[in-house]
Amino acid sequence: MEQKLRNEARALLEQGKIDWIIGFEVGSLKFTTTPLITKDKSDTERLVINPFIANNLANFLTQIKGRVGIVAKGCESRSIVSLIQDNKVVRENVVILGVPCTGVIDLSKVEKLVGKDRDELDDIVRERDKVIIKVNGKKKELSTTQALFDHCLACELPTPREYDILLGEPTPPIANPAAQESIKKLKQVAPEQRWASWEKELSRCIRCYACRNVCPACFCQRCFVEETEPQWVLPAPRWQDNLIFQIIRNIHVAGRCTDCGECERACPVNIPLRSLTRGMYDIVGELFQFKAGLDKDALPLMTHYEEKEAEDFFR
Amino acid sequence: MTTTNISPSKFLAQDNVYLPHIVVIEKIIEETPNIRTLHFNFKDKKLQKEFSFESGQFGEYSVFGIGEAPFCISSSPTRRDHLEFAVQRVGRVTNALHRLGVGAEIGFRGPYGNSFPLDYLGGKNLVFVGGGIGLAPLRSLIWNVIDNKDKYKNIDIIYGARTPADLCFKYDLDSWSKNKTVNMVTTVDRGDESWTGKTGVVPKILEEVAPSAKNAAAIVCGPPIMIRFTFPVLTKLGFTPEQMLTTLEKRMKCGIGKCGRCNIGNIFVCRDGPVFSYAQIKSFVSSEY
Amino acid sequence: MANKKISKKDIAKLLNQWSREFAVFVPSKESGIATMARWDGKDVTLDWYRNTVIPKANFLPAMEEMFRFQKDKESYNIELPPDGGKQLIFGIRPCDARALAIIDANFKNLYQDPYYLSRRDSAVLIGVGCINPSESCFCTSLGISPTESKDVDLMLTDIGDQFLIEEVTDKGKKLIAKASGLGEATKEDETRAKEMKETSYNKVTRKINTEGIVERLIACFDDQDFWEKIAAKCISCGICTLLCPTCYCFDINDELTKQQGTRFRSLDSCAFPVYTKMPMENPRAEKWKRVRQKVCHKYGFFPMSFNAIACTGCGRCIRLCPVNWDITQVLNNLPVKTEVGK
Repeated sequence: MEQKLRNEARALLEQGKIDWIIGFEVGSLKFTTTPLITKDKSDTERLVINPFIANNLANFLTQIKGRVGIVAKGCESRSIVSLIQDNKVVRENVVILGVPCTGVIDLSKVEKLVGKDRDELDDIVRERDKVIIKVNGKKKELSTTQALFDHCLACELPTPREYDILLGEPTPPIANPAAQESIKKLKQVAPEQRWASWEKELSRCIRCYACRNVCPACFCQRCFVEETEPQWVLPAPRWQDNLIFQIIRNIHVAGRCTDCGECERACPVNIPLRSLTRGMYDIVGELFQFKAGLDKDALPLMTHYEEKEAEDFFR
Repeated sequence: MTTTNISPSKFLAQDNVYLPHIVVIEKIIEETPNIRTLHFNFKDKKLQKEFSFESGQFGEYSVFGIGEAPFCISSSPTRRDHLEFAVQRVGRVTNALHRLGVGAEIGFRGPYGNSFPLDYLGGKNLVFVGGGIGLAPLRSLIWNVIDNKDKYKNIDIIYGARTPADLCFKYDLDSWSKNKTVNMVTTVDRGDESWTGKTGVVPKILEEVAPSAKNAAAIVCGPPIMIRFTFPVLTKLGFTPEQMLTTLEKRMKCGIGKCGRCNIGNIFVCRDGPVFSYAQIKSFVSSEY
Repeated sequence: MANKKISKKDIAKLLNQWSREFAVFVPSKESGIATMARWDGKDVTLDWYRNTVIPKANFLPAMEEMFRFQKDKESYNIELPPDGGKQLIFGIRPCDARALAIIDANFKNLYQDPYYLSRRDSAVLIGVGCINPSESCFCTSLGISPTESKDVDLMLTDIGDQFLIEEVTDKGKKLIAKASGLGEATKEDETRAKEMKETSYNKVTRKINTEGIVERLIACFDDQDFWEKIAAKCISCGICTLLCPTCYCFDINDELTKQQGTRFRSLDSCAFPVYTKMPMENPRAEKWKRVRQKVCHKYGFFPMSFNAIACTGCGRCIRLCPVNWDITQVLNNLPVKTEVGK
């Protein structure tokens, strides 16, 4: 699949069908990849597809001008569709190189289970339903449930539905209910304890805005946190303001969030942000029977009105 | 060397460089619909007597609970019964300053920054080029010079604004045009029915006035676009980069070179400026000015 | 006089003695990240991977009250916050201790910053050497050793079940003189410590070339193509700067509730677009300019002003960046300019 990708990407650039290619290349640390954004066709040799391609590349589409060839797992393709729905991306300007995704390995989960930091691991290899960790000459086997990201386990569309070139055989969703465990558990906690637990989590927040900046759905030129008149939230990491920031951000991306899980992965202080985003995703699904990024021709949820919508809250 | 040495402000409240002194607003002059001048004095009468500053320096003014912002001290050190600064309404703090009345208390920290190099300017013909609210730092220097007239030679002032309603410090323009030792030229980009003065952007009028560069220094202050077009005109008239002075503006918070944001390369506008010569600006390692 | 040593299981007792005089902070793992947290009286296991939240937070907190004010009719009364007390930071790494020494220069320059400096003056730093430097560490390229430090008061080296204790400053000497429960280090202990230090030093494999870095950076300051390429994948979040031990930029804001309020400062980042935003223009609206500012400030402008590179090679930025943007890759691939471009 990798070589096919490299060939296609190179061909597209050579034929002048795209100006830019966005994909993944090997990162500067073990078990990491990093986005590759380039106009140079010789750089396409560095494109990779492996179990560590975590980023949501659709995030870069709103920054790059011109025609873009983009490597897209299922989650990226949904984000791209969502951006097309919002008129932020023109379909004709994007060539989607679809990658059927078997899930991305969550290094934090692996570290917790193996009891060692990633620097001490010799290798991590994915073999079908297993993830094999090699450390100190020994092998440890983990199941996909144990080693993949929760959002990968919950993913509803691992193979892109919207693409120009599909680089491999379609893969089915893993659809593991374990993915929803943490969120189910949280919903069972009483409100006072939930409040206390969020206070604890959000006290660690440093307002780096990585959660917002990795999100393809957050494409506002000027975010509400940057407004001074009026000042919606304090521009400092007080936990109450951090909470308001998360709440408002979730409301703003409702109907656009595809549960790609990047926000939680990017958070440097391990705040369980996906509990909030997935929570909102589920609420949107319940109330509006809508899931973002699945239908390119659907109208964006929050910016159009349908007569059949409820009006019982008007007084 | 065309700018003065930097030395820290001696006026610290409670020995803490971030604590403002309390000052009281004594008079408000509405210069234009969105610019006002505030006259103020220290609540502490002892400090009122002891406080000193130089033309070109600025202070950090606080509206408690809203925030703090830097403005140059627009009054002259030669006229010390009160202090002045001019504010244009553009954001949170400035809007709050525009809502205050006489008697209101605000905070003041300063004076910060360097000042216009009077030693260098002494004995020279001075050409002041100002635009809009840019006249504020200039007027401190202009009155300073006029009050020490024997130390300087000719004075040319070329000042302009977008429209007659945007002209600031009209009372000064009036004084200076009546002053026989000053050549006062006022212009607007666009006149109205009652405007009888010159029309044209400041750099163009400067070119018409064509002051001589011989033994002269030009002090330019105004919107960045005006400055960018003024320097080439001055160069054409024979001014060297050392002969051109200006004040730079950047977003500032601490005002004392610690918070990092007003840097241009390795210099801080709050600490090493705001007064710079064009020669110095050209020698910055960073082109971000 | 021989060095002292302490058994790992006796550390809690030692900290107990010190906690009468100091607020003691130790590395603690909470929710999967390591921070310097207030010691809870239990046993301490020194986490061998550097703290995510840096000891800088003990001196330049993420949010800090500068003063408070009361409105009394039309007048304001200003009051300083109460004194925080003396801190004892146990288990700080050489890179983080050096970072504090580096940013001291900024807070002493021209004006004394009372908040930062009073905390620095009253604090005691007890360093611990790394025995397992991370893949992202590159301290040795910046003249910093993972196992030795002149910036702490006492330096601990892991020699198995015990720590060797070396005195570095008089403050440290006094602290140790008063402490009980310490042993005398033997010749074997000293040898073992020396071995550990050497092994550790050689485990740092990531390297950058800092020769003439200031000049080389300034020379390519205006190379827009280079910086745009470098900045392409950056997402302008604040992780690298907010969690960098040598980043100190801060914002000052006020808050008012009815009749009283506070002025506080909080850590800020040059990566944010609004960092330099003015009403009429923003000199760093473009991302590549902000990325350029970060690199050039740390390795160019700061050394020009204070004679020290504002980086200690701790590698947090590399490890925590969501897109794996790597400053060592940037620095090792600067375009070569034959003359200073402008």
